[in-house]
Amino acid sequence: MSVLAAVGRPEVAQIAQEIFAAMIDRQPGLLTSWPAGPATVADPLYAWVDLGTVPASRVQLATDAATADALARAFLTMGEAEPVSADDVVDAFGEIANVLGGNIKALLPEHVGLTLPEVSRADPSGQRGVEGAEALFAWRGAPLVISLYTI
Amino acid sequence: MKALVIDDSATMRHIVADILGGLGFESSQAANGREALDLLESGESFELACIDWNMPVMDGLEFVAAVRARRRWRDLTLMMVTTEGEQGQVVRALAAGAHEYVIKPFTPDALASKLVLLGLLRGEQVP
Repeated sequence: MSVLAAVGRPEVAQIAQEIFAAMIDRQPGLLTSWPAGPATVADPLYAWVDLGTVPASRVQLATDAATADALARAFLTMGEAEPVSADDVVDAFGEIANVLGGNIKALLPEHVGLTLPEVSRADPSGQRGVEGAEALFAWRGAPLVISLYTI
Repeated sequence: MKALVIDDSATMRHIVADILGGLGFESSQAANGREALDLLESGESFELACIDWNMPVMDGLEFVAAVRARRRWRDLTLMMVTTEGEQGQVVRALAAGAHEYVIKPFTPDALASKLVLLGLLRGEQVP
């Protein structure tokens, strides 16, 4: 069974909310559905992992760079004013994608491989195949987009 | 008690070490299984290793197998801390010699509960 067939928006939303409640916000309810209307991610940062089914499926996370900074500070339990290094932002954002991808992988009936996370300012979805679930969230008022698609 | 936190994510190493620090553990860190083996081979001793699965160079399962192959490290408690949540993967890790398994995401309480189960922490020590 492909990832896209096995995993819908409700599953993605539940996993994302569990990750944020346990490891980012350390309380539930702060990652919410994006209110109606389009979510525009300005100055985006992307993180993704690929699940080794055939065709391979990508689990991608996107948010704006300032929100990725705030995510890293929250993940690392740093204060709002504490400077966070670019390496820390890349590592933290990639780890969120890794945990997301691993939990999506666990929903599949068969074992598939999981790649190490990658992070880039360039949109990796140029090779996008079939579209799967997309979940739009608001975190501290900024959009955070999770998309599944084949590559 | 001393713990070795093995994860290719510096963020995750920081989080796990921070939680363990709050529970009274002193932590060292390694970015993959090979680095962790190097620390063990250098003579450092630990009571607990928290091990990610998917890492470059040497993954967590290879590390567990390498530790279990050496009698001198038989007292080291091995706890997987990983996104690999499928039942089959849990069984593989336990069969290879891991003692416990924590699936990311986890809360500090969940990690502490596992340490109580492992006998590395008493219930009253959990904040």
